[in-house]
Amino acid sequence: MVFFAFETLKFASGCCLVAFSFRSSIIIGTSEGFKLIGFCHFCLHGFYGPQSDLFAQVIEECNSHILHLGSLIRKSEELKKTEELRKTNNQELDETEKKELRAYSSGALVHHFSLLRNKRCLMAYVYHRAEIIRNLVWTIGRVLPEEIEEKISSAEKDYFKKHAATLQSYMSELDDLDLAVDMVPPKDPYIKVRVLEDIGNVVLSDHSANLARHAIVFLRRTDAELYIAQGSMEEITS
Amino acid sequence: MESGSGDGSSAFTATNDDLPMEAELLKRAWRNEKAAPQILQFDADLVQRSRELIKLMEETVEDFRSNGDDPLTVSLYQMDVDRTHFLLRSYLRTRLQKIEKYMFHIQKTPELWNRLSRQEKRFAERCTGDMEQHLQQSVLSKLPSIYHSHLRQSSSSEEDDMVPEPQLNTYVICRSKRYLGAFQLDDSGEDPVTIEADDLYALPYKSIKPLVETGQIDLV
Repeated sequence: MVFFAFETLKFASGCCLVAFSFRSSIIIGTSEGFKLIGFCHFCLHGFYGPQSDLFAQVIEECNSHILHLGSLIRKSEELKKTEELRKTNNQELDETEKKELRAYSSGALVHHFSLLRNKRCLMAYVYHRAEIIRNLVWTIGRVLPEEIEEKISSAEKDYFKKHAATLQSYMSELDDLDLAVDMVPPKDPYIKVRVLEDIGNVVLSDHSANLARHAIVFLRRTDAELYIAQGSMEEITS
Repeated sequence: MESGSGDGSSAFTATNDDLPMEAELLKRAWRNEKAAPQILQFDADLVQRSRELIKLMEETVEDFRSNGDDPLTVSLYQMDVDRTHFLLRSYLRTRLQKIEKYMFHIQKTPELWNRLSRQEKRFAERCTGDMEQHLQQSVLSKLPSIYHSHLRQSSSSEEDDMVPEPQLNTYVICRSKRYLGAFQLDDSGEDPVTIEADDLYALPYKSIKPLVETGQIDLV
């Protein structure tokens, strides 16, 4: 899991450098993006709800950078035009104008880098959550439990459904080889399970059984795994 | 899953001699795939043969069962089928999870892309499509067009600088069945490592990559 976090931060790793070196001289907005990255770490311990406020703030920050960037580029282009004009008359920009040109271009650069930083933070956040969602597809199958569903955005729900379908279609291409069972190496073909919810009569791979609540039964591991993942059965290990 | 695999391999080695050739080869492919940071060549023949083997074994067990053979014998055979089945599933699963993790990297590197099976390619295409759309919808569409790429930080980046890639210089444990002689690990001028038969080594994956890909060395 630690490695997991490390991979994600690859997106964000560069941004510390940029932000800190510029922060000493010019402070341009707060770095809400970093807070988002902080939430990536929280995601490891439990699935937090989308930081939609924070997310919106970072986007907001991006928009103000875009405005500044645009106006600075326009100003520096105007000065460059004047420079061209003067050149045809064998004249140069005066000292203050030269200084201004330099200031405009470096200002634009700062805003550009801030945008990159925020983009990396946003992407790392969304990408990391998408990774967790993919893991959910593997572990709990196609239906999301309520407590998770309320924590993810509609785009993420969409992504979950699509990814589950992608995985499903891969499995059906392999003549319905179910890859979501058998997650741990089998020690015994049968396991002892306690039924936690009334499941009723079901046809299993080698026989049919009535799975009533509180019953303790021996089942084929592959049959039981799905129910265990859904929380309607638990394995009894002794 | 990681912690479980260790138990699994030790349990499997106990029955080494009884396992048919295919299961042995599948186990090797599975171990290599599990330990390598990068995706390896898909072994279509092996998967096909293993599936046939599993089917055959299942039929045998079924026969035993209907003949009223000793339940202990039947359950031992069943165990064997289950283990082979697990190997096959885990092999395919490990590959899919690698594809999920490094989808953009695999998609843009022809060498890696060609290692996927036909079905895996389709899976990877759909995966990248979904991920791209998700990123576009959630982040990129809210930024100006020069920052729209999901592979590059901005259109002024000279190369794809936002694609997660596997760490190739990570250390792996490996073993060779035969003597390979002195092997130069990298260009740093250090003494070459002599790879003896059946000895275990912990070496950076990057330096033994060609040996793994040509099947001269096995990862454990």
